[in-house]
Amino acid sequence: MTVPLGAFIAVSAALFFIGAAGVLVRRNAVVILMCVELMLNASNLALVAFSRRAGELGAGNPLDQRGSVFVVFVFVVAAAEVAVGLAIILAAYRNRPTVNVDEIHDLKG
Amino acid sequence: MFDFLEPLFFALFALGIIGAGACVVVLRRITAQALLMALTFASMAGMFLLLGAETIALFQVLIYVGAITILILFGVMFTKQDDRPYGLFFQEQTPWAAALTLVIALPVAFLALSFKDPTTASAKGGDLIPLAASLFRDYTFPFEVASVLLLAALVGAIVLVKRDEQ
Repeated sequence: MTVPLGAFIAVSAALFFIGAAGVLVRRNAVVILMCVELMLNASNLALVAFSRRAGELGAGNPLDQRGSVFVVFVFVVAAAEVAVGLAIILAAYRNRPTVNVDEIHDLKG
Repeated sequence: MFDFLEPLFFALFALGIIGAGACVVVLRRITAQALLMALTFASMAGMFLLLGAETIALFQVLIYVGAITILILFGVMFTKQDDRPYGLFFQEQTPWAAALTLVIALPVAFLALSFKDPTTASAKGGDLIPLAASLFRDYTFPFEVASVLLLAALVGAIVLVKRDEQ
């Protein structure tokens, strides 16, 4: 017996909600970055699951790889995002030594 | 004979993903959170293996479990982490939030479990060659744009953290 497609999608949705809750609830900028990575990874799981299990429904080609190609680009964007995000956190930390996003409000009018 | 192995490993990886992911949100020890995030990523690589996407699983281990976890750990080490109370945890609107979340989550769960598997057998294993053919033949231009994006991120990160030298 194989695991149904819906089970993978359910795990993906659960991880996405966990990540979204973390982004909304936590106040540590580094933890917020971690939770964003969790959300990106959850979307990757959904993309790969649809690509591998339902890909042949679309193009009629069992080797249809569009979902996996998209996941590769998500990897690239995630790597760029975490590098620039940590650089921004460090630059803000140099101005005001805290990573608590409630205390970084210099742009507030 | 070994039919039970695939659901068993699925349950193991799902437990790793959801349990470690929830711990990342709830725990308050920053290093443990980063390492549990790495466990989530490793379990996700196992999910990709179950789905037959070995190359994606390899990228997952290399990029997420390796590079991004190390980068986050450096971010943890370069900044001062102080224990603070949760921002919005456990206030009086929690029951309302739970009710609203349930209203949203039930349709999502129903939708997620309503997907039907295709009747034709899915392609098993060996996704490196079709993935490479698709990436380098059909998606060459986005591939080059992705390399420019990585270069821009590299330069941008260095410019952001470089100290001004008089």
